[in-house]
Amino acid sequence: MFALKRNKSGSTKLAMAGLAALMVILSACGDNNAGNAANSTAGSTTAPSAEATAAPSQGEAKTVTDAMGHQVSIPVNPQRVLASYLEDHLVTLGVKPVAQWSVPNGIQEYLSPELKEVPTISYDLPLEAVTSFAPDLIIVDSESAVQNGLYDQYNKIAPTYVLGDAVNKDWRKALTTIGDLLGKSAEAAQAIKDYDQKAAEAKEKLASVAGGQSAAALWLVQKNFYLVDETRASGEVLYKDLGLASPNLVTEIPADQRATWNPISLEKLSELKADHIFLVNSDKSDSSEILNSATWKSIPAVKAGHVYELSSNSTWLYSGATADSKTIDDILKFLVKQ
Amino acid sequence: MVSSQDSDSINSTKLRTSDLPITSRPTAAILILIIGLGGILFGLALSISVGAADIKLSTVWEAVFHFNPDIRQHQVIWELRIPRSLAGALVGACFAVAGAMMQGMTRNPLADSGLLGLNAGATAALAFAFAFTPSMPFTLIMLFCFIGAALAALLVFGIGSLSRNGLTPIRLTLAGAAVSALLLAVSQGVAILFHLSQDLTFWLAGGVAGTTWGQLKIMAPPILVALIVAMMMSRSITLLSLGSEVAAGLGQNTRLVQAGGMLTVVVLAGTAVSAVGPIAFVGLLIPHITRYLVGIDYRWVIPCSAVLGSLLLIFADIGARLLNAPYETPIGALISLLGVPFFIYLASRRKGAVS
Amino acid sequence: MSKPILSSYEKQRRTRNITVLSLLGFLIATVFVISMNTGFMRLSPLEVLQTIGGQGNHQQKLILFDFRLPRIVISLLVGAGFAVSGCILQSLSRNALAEPSTLGITAGAGFAVILFISFFPATTAAPIYVLPLLALLGAGLTAALIYILAFRREGLSQARLVLIGIAVAAGINAYQIVLALRLDPKNYQFVATWMAGKIWGGDWRFVLALLPWIVVLLPFAFYKARVLNVLNLGDQMSTGLGAPVERERLLLLAAAVALAGSCVAVSGGIGFVGLIAPQLARRLVGPRHQVLLPAAALTGGLLLLAADTIGRWIMQPAEVPAGVVVAVIGAPYFLYLLAKSRA
Repeated sequence: MFALKRNKSGSTKLAMAGLAALMVILSACGDNNAGNAANSTAGSTTAPSAEATAAPSQGEAKTVTDAMGHQVSIPVNPQRVLASYLEDHLVTLGVKPVAQWSVPNGIQEYLSPELKEVPTISYDLPLEAVTSFAPDLIIVDSESAVQNGLYDQYNKIAPTYVLGDAVNKDWRKALTTIGDLLGKSAEAAQAIKDYDQKAAEAKEKLASVAGGQSAAALWLVQKNFYLVDETRASGEVLYKDLGLASPNLVTEIPADQRATWNPISLEKLSELKADHIFLVNSDKSDSSEILNSATWKSIPAVKAGHVYELSSNSTWLYSGATADSKTIDDILKFLVKQ
Repeated sequence: MVSSQDSDSINSTKLRTSDLPITSRPTAAILILIIGLGGILFGLALSISVGAADIKLSTVWEAVFHFNPDIRQHQVIWELRIPRSLAGALVGACFAVAGAMMQGMTRNPLADSGLLGLNAGATAALAFAFAFTPSMPFTLIMLFCFIGAALAALLVFGIGSLSRNGLTPIRLTLAGAAVSALLLAVSQGVAILFHLSQDLTFWLAGGVAGTTWGQLKIMAPPILVALIVAMMMSRSITLLSLGSEVAAGLGQNTRLVQAGGMLTVVVLAGTAVSAVGPIAFVGLLIPHITRYLVGIDYRWVIPCSAVLGSLLLIFADIGARLLNAPYETPIGALISLLGVPFFIYLASRRKGAVS
Repeated sequence: MSKPILSSYEKQRRTRNITVLSLLGFLIATVFVISMNTGFMRLSPLEVLQTIGGQGNHQQKLILFDFRLPRIVISLLVGAGFAVSGCILQSLSRNALAEPSTLGITAGAGFAVILFISFFPATTAAPIYVLPLLALLGAGLTAALIYILAFRREGLSQARLVLIGIAVAAGINAYQIVLALRLDPKNYQFVATWMAGKIWGGDWRFVLALLPWIVVLLPFAFYKARVLNVLNLGDQMSTGLGAPVERERLLLLAAAVALAGSCVAVSGGIGFVGLIAPQLARRLVGPRHQVLLPAAALTGGLLLLAADTIGRWIMQPAEVPAGVVVAVIGAPYFLYLLAKSRA
């Protein structure tokens, strides 16, 4: 283990110097974080919490309350926004974030045209990585991401606004809130209007070719099927926006246990009474066995050939104006052409 | 190789083994086998009758005896419920026999594939498999788990037997705990880095759901062979369970028996773990109950353990399906609820003898 | 056995102890400096020095003083806490393999946290000290359970204590899996990271939360060093020497559990520090607790700080939890000890 460290920064000479500086650190650590010297990259808009009590007027930060009750002072016209896993809304509003959400094996593929040059940041938002992007506003999607004092740490880097699960569940609310924060309320409202119009047109088209028909969206991961909820992600598009009927299994999900995607066994799935199945397949090579099984093939929609396979990069797993609009395109492509 | 060794020892020791304090109750054992097999048949029947899909009992029997591929329910019975039930039966026998053999060979009442690091080995292998090849065929996953389990077993037994006093129960348990901790830490690290913690946990929870005929065909032959080998070795294991000095004194090549036995255990436990995930405590619980019922002659202990292990897993699986229908309760957790108090009882009952 | 020889031996030992302790201190200082220079943001050693001197920009100050420094301090404190806790447990049970994680105390603390998260999702800003207190409670209850189960009229069997600890830990893990499956992925990720022992409480408030426990309990343990020397000899021996065995033992056990619990609360499930640090320390300074305890504390701090630094660096930009690094180093050492021991 010591060999490893030697590789890092061969700083034995500095070790001694650092040792001498130890005392300095210990005495200096108490009072440094109030320093409001904005650094070069962040520009002059970084708003330290002290100056943010004024009412929202031109040229001054406004103070808002987030989902966890924090008083957050939002800089006017923030330039360097970090909103991990909320990039859909930023793209809708035409805002380029300083960094985009990622996991070791992927990013939100469907946004890659818009976010091509945007660097990635790990999903768990490491403090130093966040600091390195020098954001002037951080928007966090869920309370669980900032548990146990992490909020205060982020808030030291830049004003941090927690959207909260309750708001985040409904993309219209999330988009509106983010629009308000970024001073783009009009754009947000317009995006929702555009989407609703697109949905209404699609609904009309569908009514003529597939009126009253039912559809289910399934997600296949590691041999397990998940069924989308009526009100979330692509379920919201299918049932609420486009007026397709919910099949039996979707309505039978116990109300108190509903998640966005609900696990369902193949055995139960065999009872699915849906006219169409949209299958998000996240497991290409593994799935051949399960998709060739006689049980799967005996499901009426499968028998009728009404299964539409979507790649795991598709927008069906996400929600937001940008994602849902693409989901509508998918649905129209499969159902209207026939 | 093992059987020839076995017959040698029979020739040379026939007279003297009868002097040894081997309690056995053949009547009880035969009774257990008969009733147990009946119970397994009943359990299998029950197991294919219940499930997430509503299928009438009459339809179930029609599916079994007059299979019609055009009927959807028949497909469900044949393709999903029957392989699943059979897998439960097989795997239960595997874990129980593996546990019985480990306990007999190492004279360690606390031996079990979960406690001795085999499950953790399979988990670590699986974590790497998930991380580096996101989608791989089931056979390969099985192979990975199997190798992981085997390596962990080697490590635990290797370290356990390194010292002068050989494999004492506490040493083995400690080595198992340490190897488990190491391998689980590695899996945790990989899982966190590659963002697949919950996938791994689902597998850790264990379950026979989703077993296909294809998987059954792959896992059944090694299991059946290993079970037969276990039966053939049962006599040598009885002698080993009396102490390696006794066994050696009776002319047995103890190292050979131990090596053969370990190989059998790894095949049994490794295959079972790779098929259904790390279900702990079956291998601990069943052999104890069996020995309590039939005595310490492993010629009876091994087959009876197999039967009782099957029985436990079949019914635990039925319970797992019914407890929170339509969702499945993790079967591994369900069995742990039974196993943990029992393990604590065993550990606290033992006096200074363990050290 | 004449007097001059003994005292020169004594002198030699004292010099040796002082050398060892100051060497440990020096190593800690070295790793400290390396750790200050390690992280996602590349700060050159010069920049670090400048920032320490008060000339850095906002960003650099934030990283050094608000992110790296508290984390380093916490690593040192937690490492020392675990090490002393392990040292006490090893001496009390006279078992070289005893430590908070093999005795199931760590698992108990973790279970309390998982239980809380699964029933009270973090929808509001929960007070920052709730989880640490819960972890402490979980550790205490588990320790009590293990003690009750292992205790017999004829005394506390060391082997039984460890076996029951393993059993209880296995049981807790099983229940944990059931609970974990019910969590939504986001909370699950948090819990998984927490259990793997990532030093997440990189905040001065956590230092403040942990400090009282360390400040009270470490000196308490040092103060009881002589009692530990006696208890380590075994029950009959120590009763013969006039120590009120049971009371002293309970007191020290409570101190060990409180130390482990408060450390788990801040750092999550880090095992093996409590095992390795006392062992290494014993090798360096011998079995006298007056020196052994401080040496173990220093070794533990050094170990965890090194592990955390390695974890931050080795797979950049991703971070490997310190608990994983420690386990990867510690488990083989544990196995080596096991192979060598005669138990």
